[in-house]
Amino acid sequence: MSRPLNPTFIAFGLLGSLLLLDLVLPIMNLLLHADWSGWIAELKQPDARQALKISVTASIISTLIMTFLGVPLGYLLARANLPFKRLWISLVFLPMVVPGLAGGILLLQMFGPYGMIGQPLDAWSIELTNNLAGIVLAQLFVASPFVVVSALAGFASVDPKLEQAAATLGDSRWQIFRRISLPLAWPGIAAGITLAWIRALGEFGATLIMAYNPHSLPVYMWVKFESDGLAGAMPVAFWLVLAAGAVVAVSMFLSGLTGHAYVVTPLGVRPHEG
Amino acid sequence: MISKKREHTVAILWAVLLAWPSVSASASPQDHAVSVLYAGSLAAVMENGVGPAFAKATGYGYQGEAQGSLGAAQMIRGRLRTPDVFISADPAVNESLLMGLHNGSRVKWFMLLASSQLVLGYNPRSKFAAKFRAAEANRIPWYEVLETPGVRFGRGDPSIDPKGYRTLFMFGLAGQHYHRPELPGLLGDPRNPAQVFPEIVLMVQVESGQFDAGVFYKHEVEAYKLPYISLPPEISLGDSRFAARYARQTYTTSSGLQVSGAPILFTITIPETVRHREAALAFVRFLLTSDKLLKQFGFGNVDHQVGGDVMQVPAGLREFASGTFKP
Repeated sequence: MSRPLNPTFIAFGLLGSLLLLDLVLPIMNLLLHADWSGWIAELKQPDARQALKISVTASIISTLIMTFLGVPLGYLLARANLPFKRLWISLVFLPMVVPGLAGGILLLQMFGPYGMIGQPLDAWSIELTNNLAGIVLAQLFVASPFVVVSALAGFASVDPKLEQAAATLGDSRWQIFRRISLPLAWPGIAAGITLAWIRALGEFGATLIMAYNPHSLPVYMWVKFESDGLAGAMPVAFWLVLAAGAVVAVSMFLSGLTGHAYVVTPLGVRPHEG
Repeated sequence: MISKKREHTVAILWAVLLAWPSVSASASPQDHAVSVLYAGSLAAVMENGVGPAFAKATGYGYQGEAQGSLGAAQMIRGRLRTPDVFISADPAVNESLLMGLHNGSRVKWFMLLASSQLVLGYNPRSKFAAKFRAAEANRIPWYEVLETPGVRFGRGDPSIDPKGYRTLFMFGLAGQHYHRPELPGLLGDPRNPAQVFPEIVLMVQVESGQFDAGVFYKHEVEAYKLPYISLPPEISLGDSRFAARYARQTYTTSSGLQVSGAPILFTITIPETVRHREAALAFVRFLLTSDKLLKQFGFGNVDHQVGGDVMQVPAGLREFASGTFKP
């Protein structure tokens, strides 16, 4: 069975591993030079624990909002006959090309205490900057495109014939969405949600402007670096890498539960058995 | 035949890639550019004023980077940045983070470059602009505006920014100067989350009108064209005649760095990380002879006293040195 290695694979493998090294080496370097006991002690400080709590809470809230609002939007963009559809799609991509700091300034002018939305709310003593809401808004801005785009791609890749077949059998649009489109598109959407969650967790630029306080983990890392140098920032960087790893693990677990493999059967879309 | 040709192309590509660093190193203008790491509040001054003026006057290139003074020093110390010139917003940053064996002797000397002072900058479109203008014209005291309910004012974070702890000192001095001991209470906790921001964020907050006012250096509000209220020299930290009074104010940062009040002085040095010595010397010389330019940007001119080891000051710069600096 053994075949000579395909030269294309060898070439691609060389190129690919260069990129992989670039991605993995900095993290390896962090772990290799880890001062485990010192760092763990550092993280027992109330400030660090508070920042971790803020980051986890904010990123879960923003990921839930992104999913709840972004998946319907992705479906709409993939399936509805919208006028100016390309325009809407490019609007979704917009935050991806705006640098974080610039995004923060734009958000601040909208949601700040004298902003278009912030000012009327301020009269009701509702503040959207310098608190958890500010962090969530910054995360939503930078990370939700991942959800919308993956939902759009996921729904677009569902074979319309399956949906049409369900329609001829009398299923409503909602039933088709729930029983056919969503399960088939889900693996791609779940990957998008995971990416968005990680992006939200690591968000720095827009957050710094929208909510310097309370410190999220990335902002806290920057503050520690500014005040204590590398020794202060490394334990927090370590925490951030761990947190991102945990997010990937949780996501894989969740998408495993919700079924990462579906089969189309005469009775509808079913999780793959075995 | 065709695949031979292609192989040739690939080989040439690789050769170019491998040879590129040496080609670019010998021919690139980067070689003649000075890289300057400077205190964040100088961003507008350096990028719009000093940098271009230096390049025009000397023919050297200029590459600047703004960082908080403490963060910048931490970067040099941790070998994350290797600037040719370092400009700090506080002599103490050199002394406590960069000088001496325990700091890896990254810096051995520095020279005083210019002085500055704290002012209260405000947004001209603020709801309270009329009151701020009245204070600017000295019709009402500045702290009365800050005491007005609803006024939002911001300040630097004392744990990452010299201006942050200087603002604490200023309010302490104000309490004594005006016989209003309750004034420092306007700040709340030293790191009051409703008031403290990184330098650049604070400017964004006030410029965009989300905050009514902030405590800034005079050269910052001049650069960003914000209207401002000047403070008396007894509390502005801008006048060395009041150094003894300033010195009675102290603060310990969250990382344990002990700082005390002192006139606001910017320092310049060529750290041991220098790679383009000629360009660095030219740049420092240019700044030390730019009193007029610095004044235009809102700085005060000072005698260029030397801190640290006088013998380490490069020969080409000694003529500008005037006395030794004692903190």
